[in-house]
Amino acid sequence: MANLSDEGATKDESMSSEDVVVVVDQLEKIYSGDVRAVDSISFNVERGEIFGFLGPNGAGKTTTISILTTQTLPTGGRAEVLGYDVVKEPGKVRRGIGLVPQELTVDDELTGRENMELQGSLYGVPYSDAKERIDELLDLVRLADSAARKVKTYSGGMKKRLELAEGLIHRPEVLFLDEPTLGLDIQTRTSMWEHINKLKKETNMTIFLTTHYLEEADALCDRIAIIDHGNVIALDTPGELKKAVGGDVIEIEVTDCDEDILEIINGVPGIALIDGTCAENKARIKVPDSGAALPKILTNFITRDIQVASVMVKKPSLDQAFLEFTGRELRDEESTAGNSKKEAGARKGRFRRRR
Amino acid sequence: MIRETIALIARDLKRWYRTPAQIILVFTTPLMWLLLFGQAFNIGRLAQIGDTMTDLRLVFGGATDYFSFMAIGQTAFIMLFASFFSGVSILWDRKFGFLSKLQVAPIPRAVIPLSRIASSLVKSMLQAAVVIVLAASFVLVPGLSGLRFSPSFGFADALGLALFLVLLGISLSALFVALGLIVRNEETLFGLINLLNFPLMFTSSALIPIALMPDWLRTIALYNPITFVVDGMRQLVFDTSVGAEYTVAVDLLGIGIFSALMIGLGALLARRALLRG
Ligand SMILES: Nc1ncnc2c1ncn2[C@@H]1O[C@H](COP(=O)(O)OP(=O)(O)O)[C@@H](O)[C@H]1O
Ligand SMILES: [Mg+2]
Repeated sequence: MANLSDEGATKDESMSSEDVVVVVDQLEKIYSGDVRAVDSISFNVERGEIFGFLGPNGAGKTTTISILTTQTLPTGGRAEVLGYDVVKEPGKVRRGIGLVPQELTVDDELTGRENMELQGSLYGVPYSDAKERIDELLDLVRLADSAARKVKTYSGGMKKRLELAEGLIHRPEVLFLDEPTLGLDIQTRTSMWEHINKLKKETNMTIFLTTHYLEEADALCDRIAIIDHGNVIALDTPGELKKAVGGDVIEIEVTDCDEDILEIINGVPGIALIDGTCAENKARIKVPDSGAALPKILTNFITRDIQVASVMVKKPSLDQAFLEFTGRELRDEESTAGNSKKEAGARKGRFRRRR
Repeated sequence: MIRETIALIARDLKRWYRTPAQIILVFTTPLMWLLLFGQAFNIGRLAQIGDTMTDLRLVFGGATDYFSFMAIGQTAFIMLFASFFSGVSILWDRKFGFLSKLQVAPIPRAVIPLSRIASSLVKSMLQAAVVIVLAASFVLVPGLSGLRFSPSFGFADALGLALFLVLLGISLSALFVALGLIVRNEETLFGLINLLNFPLMFTSSALIPIALMPDWLRTIALYNPITFVVDGMRQLVFDTSVGAEYTVAVDLLGIGIFSALMIGLGALLARRALLRG
């Protein structure tokens, strides 16, 4: 048993099992033909956090979710959800979790409300609560006005929102969201983010989500695991992941200066340059913290009477983080463990939409 | 268990009766068969040409005309097709993700095939009833003959008729739903079902009298589960054992054994199909 007051204890050891909702330990899924969809990954998800799985298509996100939601058996390792082993006690896991799958599963021929009612029956929501809860959830996802319409008349975003509401009907302790905004336009995506953030704020639900949109992981997640080719290659808060990229970039342009401005900046007390280039009157430097460095530099320039023409600060993005960890740009990459033609087609369309 | 089963049956039925094309098919399919096969292509005349002295009831399982004979066979036929569609529907549910939703839900796995068998039964029994009503009402159309019930046909006979159809419906839908669960590819499923449907239908005495079959086919027909069903039903409807192959009790036993076998096989296949991969 780890000493709780020991500063050096790792997070996992110091946490009581109450706070860990998902335990994944060397989990592995090898499909026939030696496709390593998930290649020995380990991580924990803590109660109340939004935990993100970020990675390109084919990275193994859906496979991981489908193991955790008891649809697929792992070929190695162990996973627990809410304290229950996903292999040995699937029934108990199922009762406590909600899933909003990557593919739509709502029934087109039923109305929105009927879909919700069916879901309520499948999850044993007491009759006495069902109506109220359904109204509440339809309100939450702003489908109350369309609830009486058949789902086949819904837009893609509406279907996805209905799917989200379905996943919430039994008030699950953990909600799995597999690419919740895949294929949605920007507005709908932003509104989905609002729904998810609202959920977290109001219910303190634990959310495990996967995405291949960096902005999404950044906007929603408390912690992010970057996954690629079935491996978790980095796991941290969005902030720390960005920091690992190596700091902020500042571009300073001065109007007129005889001296080498890079030299001057380097000489400012308290400035630790990670990197720097200079062309004519423009210096491009990399520092750990632009917020602290910039005032110092500018004050120094003023005392030297150097006129500043423009300043630009670039915070590191998850794009850069992904590049840093995988050596590739996320948007250009298609992870290639498998070979589904349909997936490949969908991928192309998706990336075209993005840019 | 009961609540989710009922909810899923309701879902299947809503999908069915809300599709106008399905409802139109419920009436047009039997109408087409009854008219073309039963009225136009009248085996009764062929049988009469051969030997005018033959008691037609011996040929037509107790019926005095071919149309009455085949109308009863048509009810079995419709059970076969309705069950076949239920098998296909479950494959579509897999394709459109609905099945995976059920697999994640905290419900006993058995609910998945059982609810589909039950909804299939509701649909197929309704369609069989439509066949009987349509066939009987043909008598109202000038120039056509209708399905002629024995005057002594009563409530108990109707129950017996329903029992035969229910047993047939259960066995066929158990088989097809299990196939729909285990086969992942539409073409394969359609191929497989055709491979089963046509022989099952045309080696039985549903549409073709056993007396008119060549010997080898007769041997097969006598062991075809559909033969047991139509043989039993005809005795109930025409109230005679003239032209029957077995007693009603043996017919019931035959289809009963077939049901047990299909439920067993279906459970085995469905279990396998719903295991996690
Ligand atoms: N049922 C399966 N059989 C074989 N390979 C599969 C199967 N499902 C997924 N894969 C492969 O496993 C890899 C991971 O897929 P997936 O988990 O769906 O990735 P993601 O959700 O991150 O896009 C891919 O290479 C995919 O082709
Ligand atoms: Mg996926």
